[in-house]
Amino acid sequence: MQQNGHVDRRTVLKAAGASLAVAGLGATATACGGGTGSGDGTVTIRYSWWGADDRAQRINKTIALFEKKYPKIKVKTDFQPYTDFWKKFNTQASGGNPPDVFQNAIGFLRKYDAKNVLLDLSEQVEAGNLSMDGFRAGLDKFGEIDGKLLGVPVGSNSMALVIDKHVYTRAGISPEQGWTWDDFYAAMERIRDKTGRAGDSGMYGVMYLYDLYLRQNGKAFFTEDGLGFTEADLTEWWTKAEKGVRSGIFADPKKVAQIKPKSAVSAELAGSEFTWDNFTVRYTSEGKSEYGLAPIPTTDGKKTGQYLGSLMLSASKRTQHPKEVAQFIDFMVHDPEVAKIMGYDRGVPATQAQYDAFTPTDEVNKAIAAYEESLVKAGVLETITPHPNGADICEAAFLRIGEELGLGKRSVSDAVKQFFTESKTALSS
Amino acid sequence: MGSAVTHAPAREGLPRDSEPRHGPVKSPRPADLKRRGRRENLAGYLFMSPWIAGFLLLTAGPMVASLYFAFTDYNLFDAPKWIGLDNFSEMFGDPRWRHSVRVTLWYVVVGTPIKLLAALGVALLLAQKRRGQAFYRAAFYAPSLIGASVSIAIVWKAIFSDDAVVDRTQQLFGIHAGGWTGDPDLIIYSLVALTVWQFGAPMVIFLAGLKQVPRELYEAANVDGAGKLRQFWNITLPMISPVLFFNVLLETIHSFQIFSSAYIVGGGAGGNACGPADGSMVYTCYLYVQGFENSRMGLASAMAWMLLVAVALVTAVLFWSQKRWVHYEEDGR
Repeated sequence: MQQNGHVDRRTVLKAAGASLAVAGLGATATACGGGTGSGDGTVTIRYSWWGADDRAQRINKTIALFEKKYPKIKVKTDFQPYTDFWKKFNTQASGGNPPDVFQNAIGFLRKYDAKNVLLDLSEQVEAGNLSMDGFRAGLDKFGEIDGKLLGVPVGSNSMALVIDKHVYTRAGISPEQGWTWDDFYAAMERIRDKTGRAGDSGMYGVMYLYDLYLRQNGKAFFTEDGLGFTEADLTEWWTKAEKGVRSGIFADPKKVAQIKPKSAVSAELAGSEFTWDNFTVRYTSEGKSEYGLAPIPTTDGKKTGQYLGSLMLSASKRTQHPKEVAQFIDFMVHDPEVAKIMGYDRGVPATQAQYDAFTPTDEVNKAIAAYEESLVKAGVLETITPHPNGADICEAAFLRIGEELGLGKRSVSDAVKQFFTESKTALSS
Repeated sequence: MGSAVTHAPAREGLPRDSEPRHGPVKSPRPADLKRRGRRENLAGYLFMSPWIAGFLLLTAGPMVASLYFAFTDYNLFDAPKWIGLDNFSEMFGDPRWRHSVRVTLWYVVVGTPIKLLAALGVALLLAQKRRGQAFYRAAFYAPSLIGASVSIAIVWKAIFSDDAVVDRTQQLFGIHAGGWTGDPDLIIYSLVALTVWQFGAPMVIFLAGLKQVPRELYEAANVDGAGKLRQFWNITLPMISPVLFFNVLLETIHSFQIFSSAYIVGGGAGGNACGPADGSMVYTCYLYVQGFENSRMGLASAMAWMLLVAVALVTAVLFWSQKRWVHYEEDGR
């Protein structure tokens, strides 16, 4: 038996060694894959983003257009779903091998600026390779942190209540700009009673919604360097959440957990969900019903606390081709043909030229345009909440601990305490 | 076990490394022998060199590095900062870490015995002489070949979801617990089921052990009028106890290292890495979250070393306990 054990252990070690060796070879191959220049002046830049197949198809078409206009620049692409994207990016960036240009969001600007990963694009603006003119609604300032241009917006979006239109019609509810939280909770109960479906998918863990609620009350989720609310604030918010889950106006978290990554609305577990307005595009392809947009409930009947969010393109500081990267970003945000291909996939186009170039013909995209216009008309848009270094980890913790609360694994006070402990660690590192 | 004993003297008689294996008939001078031996050693190491290089560069090197990182604050981007034992004190004070330890221990303590019982039970059935036995052995071993794969974990997730096979089956018996993968208390059992299903490897080892038990013992017991149960308890179990020990050791160590199935059944890319309310947050899952999601490589390294120490301790305890229950026949041990 001793003999047997001996042999087996060695075999196992060998197998482990072999697989490690193979893994190592794989890593070397990718590391060498970053070859960038060649003899005839053609350069290759790497571009990566998060999203699904439909976004990839659109982006590949826009890249074909770009390569036609700039035959000396080749673009290599790579994409993953959101969370995987950031894990991969983080690993690449720490290894000194990030993509030359990549999709980015507000929550990551300070984080990666602090880690010295992002290229300040303002030099390229001065050199004339990238134009920051013609942006809508002050979006040109969106990616500026401490005077550095770290990201260029490709589109804008804002939080909305995405609704299953059939459910709302059956329950006889039509929310209007300025409706209050009391109206909202009454509506959720009505949906539950009339349709047998939960009204909402579980808004208590959505950081961007709680931010709006706080802003309606003169606070915000983050300040420049920390959290902008107290334990008492969160206790109030999550006490309501606990009640809501028990009474069935929020969807059963057990069921929501199982249908991930599908949304609770398209899986018919809930009548509505607070999320970004461009998500109706995704839900329409996921679910069977029709999906629309309703305004954010208010505290005082007026103020929604909303602001525009945006996906951006950022460049890496280590890129050997800052000029080509700038030309690429410039093309992607200004070219009208790009807008026609992309539609509202990444939000409503950021530049006026692209906004004008794409006229939505289908219901879903028309509704998004109408929603964004209604926000401008109602004059509810304000400046965005700052996102300190560590904001992304706080957002994930908020979602996770909110879910634990919904599942009954934590009491409200325990959940609040846990969130404050975790975010303190995240924001101090 | 019997065979090990019979072979032991023969093994002693085998040529040692320093002796010439295909030496000349003339008795050679000792110096020649030495040189030849060294040359053979050199050739041996040369043939092993790809593996040795791989081991040093890809296993030993990173391990030493991670031992250093365990005492630092390291986020992958900035140079590691020495912080002494801070990572360890943070770890012990972290309720989420303690939760992951509990989940892992639960998985090991519940999953390993069930898996070994299943393996032993099937091995006992398959040890009997029957038609088509070779087919059954292959069939029962098959899940172990694919069980660790990502695709099986995905299938597993589907089987244990709401309204899927398991949920519907339990409804037939009047149990309305819903799918297991969405329930923070039940999801760990779907992982236990997954590991139990992969009992093939310990089963094959049990089977080998069972075949070594001398028939005479059973015949003698039959003559003495011992029943099947008695025979199992007093003959089979003691005779295969070294195999049992080996399996317990290996499976326990394996169970402590569970990762991919927990990560995938628990959600993977769906936002939460490790199940609803951390229901399948096993130790390595939390290690992964701290290292790759929160970029805290120093803390993750400390956690990895803690796991190594814990597994080493458990192994030591198992080795110590074997004196009491593992039976090495006629060996004086």
